[in-house]
Amino acid sequence: MAGSALRRLMAEYKQLTLNPPEGILAGPINEENFFEWEALITGPEGTCFEGGIFPAKLIFPPDYPLSPPKMQFICEMFHPNIYADGRVCISILHAPGDDPMGYESSAERWSPVQSVEKILLSVVSMLAEPNDESGANVDAAKMWREDREQFNKIAERLVRRTLGLPPP
Amino acid sequence: MPVTLVDRLPLPNLKVYTTGSVCLLSIAVYYALSVTSDPNWRVNATLQRQGAMVEEGDVKMVPPTQVIPANGTRNYTDQFIDVMSFMMQEPLCMWTLVNLAYCFLTLFGFLLQRVVFGVLRVSEAQRVKDKFWNYLFYKFIFVFGVINVQYMDEVMLWCSWFTLIGFLHIFGQLCRDRYEYLSSSPNASRWAHVRLICLLAGILVASVALMGVAIKWGIPAGRDTFAFMAAEVRIIESPLYLCFFFNVSITDIRFNNICSVGVQSVSLIVELLHVVHMVVYSNMLVSMASLVLLMQLRHLLHELQARVRRHRLYTSLATHMSQNYPMASKEEVEKNQDNCAICWEPMKEARKLPCSHLFHKMTKQIYNAKVDGCRSRRRPRHTFHDQIDQIIYKQVHQMFPQYSLGVLAADIASTRSADLTLENILEGRLAVVPPPTPLPLAEPSPMGMRFSKSATERQVSLQRRKDMLIANARKRYLEKMGSEAAGQADLDAPTTSAHS
Repeated sequence: MAGSALRRLMAEYKQLTLNPPEGILAGPINEENFFEWEALITGPEGTCFEGGIFPAKLIFPPDYPLSPPKMQFICEMFHPNIYADGRVCISILHAPGDDPMGYESSAERWSPVQSVEKILLSVVSMLAEPNDESGANVDAAKMWREDREQFNKIAERLVRRTLGLPPP
Repeated sequence: MPVTLVDRLPLPNLKVYTTGSVCLLSIAVYYALSVTSDPNWRVNATLQRQGAMVEEGDVKMVPPTQVIPANGTRNYTDQFIDVMSFMMQEPLCMWTLVNLAYCFLTLFGFLLQRVVFGVLRVSEAQRVKDKFWNYLFYKFIFVFGVINVQYMDEVMLWCSWFTLIGFLHIFGQLCRDRYEYLSSSPNASRWAHVRLICLLAGILVASVALMGVAIKWGIPAGRDTFAFMAAEVRIIESPLYLCFFFNVSITDIRFNNICSVGVQSVSLIVELLHVVHMVVYSNMLVSMASLVLLMQLRHLLHELQARVRRHRLYTSLATHMSQNYPMASKEEVEKNQDNCAICWEPMKEARKLPCSHLFHKMTKQIYNAKVDGCRSRRRPRHTFHDQIDQIIYKQVHQMFPQYSLGVLAADIASTRSADLTLENILEGRLAVVPPPTPLPLAEPSPMGMRFSKSATERQVSLQRRKDMLIANARKRYLEKMGSEAAGQADLDAPTTSAHS
C-alpha cells in the first residue's frame, strides 16, 4: 500500500523544510498528489553552473522507499549525465540489478536507506563533476572533454535562462 | 477488448435518459388510463384475447358478466389497481415499467456516487467503465450462451438478478479504488473514511440479502441454478477485503495477512469453479461461448497460481526472519534513539540483527508494497525470478543495512541463494561497508522555518521559499556580473516564474 510511502515522504518533506541543505529546495508540487515533487537545485559554486537555479521533477513510485524515484529536469540542460529530455542518469537513482549503461559502480545504488536529500546532493555533485564516461548526452560529454570553453558558454546561457535573464 | 468500441456508442446522458423514461411512463399511464376508464375494459381485453385465439368466435356469446357501476362510484384505489394490472398485462407498458426501474436504479447509483465519492477521478471512472462493460459481456454470454434461456420471463429474472449483483460489484470496486486513493493522500478527511465505511456496510448487508434470495428461490429451481446464483457470493470480496485493511492497525499482522489472502483466494477459487461449471453445463466445447469461458479459465488459473506463489514467498521470508532474527527486548528498543532507517518512524517493536543494529519489525505495509510492486508489473522485462531476486536483495538489505545493495547483489549473484549469502554475512565473509547512519528527524531549526500542519499553508510557504531562492540567486548573479550588466538585465527580467 502507498500508506507507508506516504508517511515516509511526509517525514522527508518535513526534514527538508526544517533543515534544508544549502541551495536546495524540494516539496510536492501539489499536496493532492504527494508522489510528485519539484526540487530547485542551485548550481554549485566554482563550476560553470554556478548561480543557476535548476528546477527538476521527482516522481515517486507507490512502493517508495523500496524503489527509487525518477528525476527529470524541467528546464533545458546540457550535461553529460542528463538526457536531452531532462532525465538524470545517476547511480543513486538506479536499483541494484538494473543498470541501463552497464558500467555503473555498484557502491552508490539506490537502497531504502537513501533519501531525497541524498539524491539531490548527489545531483549537485554530479553538476560539479560530470562523469564523462556515461553517455546520457554524448554531445555534452564530448564537448566537456574536448572543448571546455564552449561547454562553459552553453552552461552560462542555461544559468541565465533559469534565472529569467536574457542571454548575454 | 470491446471497451474501445463501446466508447463510440452514442449513449444518452443521464438527463436525457431520465426525461425519456418519464415521458414514456406518462404515455403508458395515459394509455392505461384511457383504456381502463371504460368500465368494461377487462371484458374487452378478454374478448380481444379470445377473439385472437378463436377468430370466428361470436362476440355476443360472452356477455358482460358483471356490470361495473358508473365512474363516479369508483374510487382512486380501485382505479390505481386497475391501471397497474392493465400495465402488467400489456407488454409495451410492462417494458416501460422495467425501463423505469432501471432508470431509478441508475439515479440511485448516481446519487450514491455523488454523496459518497463526489466527483470520480479519471482513473476510477475508467475502471468502473471497464468493469461494467466486461461484466455485461460475460453475463450476456452466460444468459444467452450458457443457460440458453428460452422464455422472456426467465430472461427478465436473470437480468434483474445480474443487475443487482453488478450494481454491488461496481460500488465495491469504487470503494476499493477510493480507499487506495485515500490511503495515499495525506489530507484525506476522516469524514471521507466514514462515508466509505457506511457504504461498505450497506454493500455487505445487500450482499447477504441477495444470498438469501439465492437460497430461497435458487434451490427450488434446481441445483444448477442455485450454483450459478450462489457463485455470485464473490461480490462480498471487495467489502470484506477492505474491512481487513481498515483493521490493519488493530489486528495482528500475521492474522490479517492470512485473512485477506484467504478471502482473495476463496473468491478466485469460487470464480474458477463457477467457470468450470458453466463450461460443463453448457456441454458444448466448440462454441464461441465456451471459447471465451476457457480463456477466462486460463486467466483465473494464472492468477491463482501467482497468488499462491506470492503467499509462499511471504511466509518463507516471514518464518526466516522470525527464526533467525530475534525480537529486540524492550530495554534495547528504548535505549536505541534512532528511527527505523527505512520507514523513518519510531520503532515500537524491532528485530535485532547479529551486528546489534535494530530494525523495524517487518511491517505489513512494506510487505504489501512489495507484493503490489510485483503485481503492477512496472518492470515487464523482468521475469518472475528477477522479481524474487529483487525481493531477496531488499529483504537481505533490510536485515543488513550496513551492506550496500551492490555488495549484496554481487554476492547473491555468485551464490544464487539468499540463505548462502546470509551465511556469508553472518560468518563475516562479506566485506562490511560503513553503515549508512539513519538521519535523525529534524528538530525545528533556529532559522525560523516551520512545518505547518495545514496543506495549503505548507504549499504557500514552499512557493514563497522557491520565489525567494530564485530572487536571491538572481540578485547574487547580477551583483557578480557587475552594475552595468545588472542595470540592463533588470529592465527585461520577468520577476516571477523564472523556471517555468
